[in-house]
Amino acid sequence: MYNKTVLIKDTTTLTQEDKTRDFYVSFTNSLREQNLSDEVQVVRAADIGVYNHGIVVKILPDIVYHDVKEADIGRIVEETIKQGKVLEDLVFNKDPKQQRIVLRNCGKIDPESIDEYLAVGGYQAIKKVIFEMDADKVLDEMKKSGLRGRGGAGFPTWMKWKFTRAVPSDRKFVICNADEGDPGAYMDRSVLEGDPHSVIEGLMISAYTIGASKGYFYIRAEYPLAVERVKLALAQAYEYGLLGDNILGSNFSFDIDIRLGAGAFVCGEETALIASIEGKRGTPRPRPPYPSVKGLWDKPTAINNVETLANIAPIITRGGDWFASIGTVTSKGTKVFAVTGKVKNSGLVEVPMGITIREIVFEICGGTISGKPIKAVQTGGPSGGVIPAEFLDTPVDYENLQKLGSIMGSGGMIVMDEDDCMVDIAKFYLGFCVDESCGKCAPCRIGGFQMLHILNNIADGKGKLEDLAQLKRISFAMQKASLCALGQTAPNPVISTTRYFEDEYKEHILEKKCRSGKCARLASYTIIQEKCKKCGLCHKNCPAGAIPGSREEGYQIDQEKCIKCGQCFEICKFKAIKKE
Amino acid sequence: MKKLTREDLDKIGAASANKAGDYIRVGLSTCGIAAGADVVFDTLVEEAKKRNIQIDIEKCGCVGMCFAEPLVEVSVEGLPRVIYGKVDKEVAVKIMEKHVVGKNLVNEYIFDFRLKE
Repeated sequence: MYNKTVLIKDTTTLTQEDKTRDFYVSFTNSLREQNLSDEVQVVRAADIGVYNHGIVVKILPDIVYHDVKEADIGRIVEETIKQGKVLEDLVFNKDPKQQRIVLRNCGKIDPESIDEYLAVGGYQAIKKVIFEMDADKVLDEMKKSGLRGRGGAGFPTWMKWKFTRAVPSDRKFVICNADEGDPGAYMDRSVLEGDPHSVIEGLMISAYTIGASKGYFYIRAEYPLAVERVKLALAQAYEYGLLGDNILGSNFSFDIDIRLGAGAFVCGEETALIASIEGKRGTPRPRPPYPSVKGLWDKPTAINNVETLANIAPIITRGGDWFASIGTVTSKGTKVFAVTGKVKNSGLVEVPMGITIREIVFEICGGTISGKPIKAVQTGGPSGGVIPAEFLDTPVDYENLQKLGSIMGSGGMIVMDEDDCMVDIAKFYLGFCVDESCGKCAPCRIGGFQMLHILNNIADGKGKLEDLAQLKRISFAMQKASLCALGQTAPNPVISTTRYFEDEYKEHILEKKCRSGKCARLASYTIIQEKCKKCGLCHKNCPAGAIPGSREEGYQIDQEKCIKCGQCFEICKFKAIKKE
Repeated sequence: MKKLTREDLDKIGAASANKAGDYIRVGLSTCGIAAGADVVFDTLVEEAKKRNIQIDIEKCGCVGMCFAEPLVEVSVEGLPRVIYGKVDKEVAVKIMEKHVVGKNLVNEYIFDFRLKE
């Protein structure tokens, strides 16, 4: 049996060969010399949670040394391992960046067992609310916490609840909005799949506070596992008497049903979502009246996002002040981001508000996968914008991101490096919104289509300089005149890319050039004759027959005939095709 | 199951402590399953049966390291609790053989990450 465990990992593998193994050998040798081989086990880790700090040595549970050289091994063995002394000059003393409130139980409990949720303190918050607090006290605590809606807009949750509570009505409703649709964002799915009871508990507390007796989960049908686990969780909660009549023997009764979204992005918008639950076509309607006054079946309704609801129980049990101690002045608590794109470690990260994007991308996610510099980070999905590399040190909160022309959104964060083209990105997001536009209002339906048309022209090399002004004009019209947030925010990716990367647009328009090579129509392919082995593979595979030649004489690309599909570039084994 | 009362919840709240005993947990959310976690889960169950090992093999949600799925968390007495990533059938067998039975951590597959608190 070992007394100590040491993890080793070379953390600068992007720029050099992995030296973990060499170091491991030296370390084990050193232990053998000291006759410690049977007491200390050394393990090569695949990832150690620290990046770009040379060889990292972690002596479990919590001593982390960075940039360790072979010469340090003797000291580490002698002093830290034998005597338990910490070597101050080697210690990695940056605090861990991640902090978990929403994801507190994800990966720790079995989501299909209510007993495990109960064992980690589950349903204690609703008990406290029913027996020790009244609605005003809950609102008070929520106000103190400063929790704002995590669905994107960032409206203070307590205010939403207060408004809904204040409207007199015989019936009220609460809804959990789990119609997560932003490309690249899947925080809500993970919470529902990993810890469904925490969301149910949040929904119960919101229902108790505003005086609702019926709640709905609105989950998109593309999340079958999430639906299955929520269904199971609801059944278990009913069985335990945590849902239904007279919960825990009190006079609070509450029922929850599930409704599935049929795949329309716009149904994440609250008024469209309500229409969808009512069985109508899922299109938004003008607000006010807001759902808090006139919502589901014209009754006062509070709609909250999954992540918002998962925050409620900890706020109740640990207090609003505790929650407010995390984060920035205007944005409290933590936020879960789904970091994807050109990043080494893609996945979910939960960080306190106020952390910088650089910290998220480099210290938690290990930087870009290619090792190339970051060009921009996209946040907020199709309603958000791009944040160029020079603003990576901006602390993340609702206001700061808005100032930069993006939004917090639901939490998608897509990292882009030099190989990404900004026109292409704008085209992608706008295309998404054009596809998903419900067509009810003209600015969104027509404006989006026209903007996409212009972007396509620019990407194809048919753009004019006037197009940029026209894009701005249509954007403005869409922002001002669209019925719902989908249309109002659809131009955001275009606005922010033109704002920060205007020269890239101009390059497409004037020089007919795409520097990243993403815009296929602007690329030109030529054969580098020195590298060409005359194998004829490109000749055979060209769908347009644009590469004439023979095995003896070599090949040429006929630029007139070339359709710029890139097949020859992909297929050449000798990298003899140049793409410009 | 009878309906819970306030007192029942009080009791559970007081009794809740860290999970005792050895366990293996496999991340079985969409991201894990897409990477093959269900196969890993079945393999672990099978291997345990084959060797007649008494250990709880459970499913759990996603801890967030989606890049390293399938993730398997192992906690056995005498060894620190670790998370293995990018586990496939072979690695699952190794985990059973080396870690659970042999009480040695498996090289090259540990994914350690840092959290506040």
